[in-house]
Amino acid sequence: MPTFAEPLFHIGPLPVTNSMLVAWIVAAGLIALVQLGTRKVQLLPGGLQNFLEFVVEGLHDLLEGIIGPDFVKRTFPFMATVFIFILCCNWSGLIPGFATIGWGHATEHGFKVTTPLLRPANADVNMTGAMALTFTVLWCVWYVQAHGVGGALKHLFAPKGGMHGAILLVLVPVFAFVGLLELVSIFFVRPLGLTIRLFGNIYAGDNLLEAMAVVIPPPFSALTMLPFYFLELIVGVVQALVFMLLCAAFTTAAIMHEEEGH
Amino acid sequence: MIPIILATQTHAPGFFEQFGVDWPHFIAQLLTMLVVLYVLNRYAYKPLLDLLEERRRRIAESMAQAEQVKQELAKAQEAREKIIADAGKQAQQLIDEARAAAQRQGDQQLQQAIAQAEALIAKAREATDLDRQRMLTELKREVGRLVVETTAKVTGKVLTPDDQRRLAEETSKQLVA
Repeated sequence: MPTFAEPLFHIGPLPVTNSMLVAWIVAAGLIALVQLGTRKVQLLPGGLQNFLEFVVEGLHDLLEGIIGPDFVKRTFPFMATVFIFILCCNWSGLIPGFATIGWGHATEHGFKVTTPLLRPANADVNMTGAMALTFTVLWCVWYVQAHGVGGALKHLFAPKGGMHGAILLVLVPVFAFVGLLELVSIFFVRPLGLTIRLFGNIYAGDNLLEAMAVVIPPPFSALTMLPFYFLELIVGVVQALVFMLLCAAFTTAAIMHEEEGH
Repeated sequence: MIPIILATQTHAPGFFEQFGVDWPHFIAQLLTMLVVLYVLNRYAYKPLLDLLEERRRRIAESMAQAEQVKQELAKAQEAREKIIADAGKQAQQLIDEARAAAQRQGDQQLQQAIAQAEALIAKAREATDLDRQRMLTELKREVGRLVVETTAKVTGKVLTPDDQRRLAEETSKQLVA
């Protein structure tokens, strides 16, 4: 599988790639599921509404424990969406047909797909990068909301620890430099880390399954694929959880005031 | 896979070219993500979290009401026991009063009966005395008449009214004596 998503067709000037197609399918599926589950919301839930409540309440309780009851109201929609969307995208990539149906050419070892019709949405840096960028923008908003503009700048650059006198003058440039490093971390390291971690895990998992499929000839290749298939099921959840929890942890550290133990 | 990477490295593409990152695709994926975020927030999180909050509120209210009902029940039970105890006391008091009243009434009726009986006895005694007097008077008159008749027959003479009266009076005196 190539490192980049391949275009399948164009909508106007926009080339639609196989990972975009999967992202749209997953998004449409989620929207349909939510519409069906919350069409008639009842106080005594049943069926799909019960399942959706279980997911939403579980995530809300988890995030409330990390971020706190006040800020969870603002951050929950993004955090929960990131988890659900990443999880659905990851698991959808395990549906048989992904990476095996598409355009290719005949080789000595059989037909080789070079342009799959469907590619896991998170095996595309554009997708993971979009989520990381969205988080970075929202993180800035929450940071300013928590501290105010002046407070945020003070939180970043001002000396901490209640020092006075000459030592304070010495430490001001040090803390200013630390603040610059923090800015680099916020706007470059963290988004890049979130982007590449998710992309790398999903892309590697897909390549692993692809490699296992050709270790022995089909249909016996299912035996070599099966353990890794289950591994990828776990990786799908873990990576969704890691992305969400990292976002929650970065946010918690940002909104925490100095007297609370930052 | 490896040849592809090698091929791309041969042309020494940058990070963005190697991973297919470009603005149109990036913005398209960003929009997809934002649409999902909007829809889930609008149609899932808000209604479900509101519902969960509403349910939590109702459960809390129900529990508070249940606690209130429990307290009211305990109070009602206490009040009921107090009412029963008061009613028992009142009933006992009424029974005692009724018993005392009955005793009083019975005594009164007994006194009346005694008085009535005594009155009847007195009347009977009076009547008996009158009968006795009347019989005694009749006896005197009869004895007097018999004495006069016997005296007239024994003496063989006709007695005058004065003689007759004198004999009757003497006879009466002797009878009384």
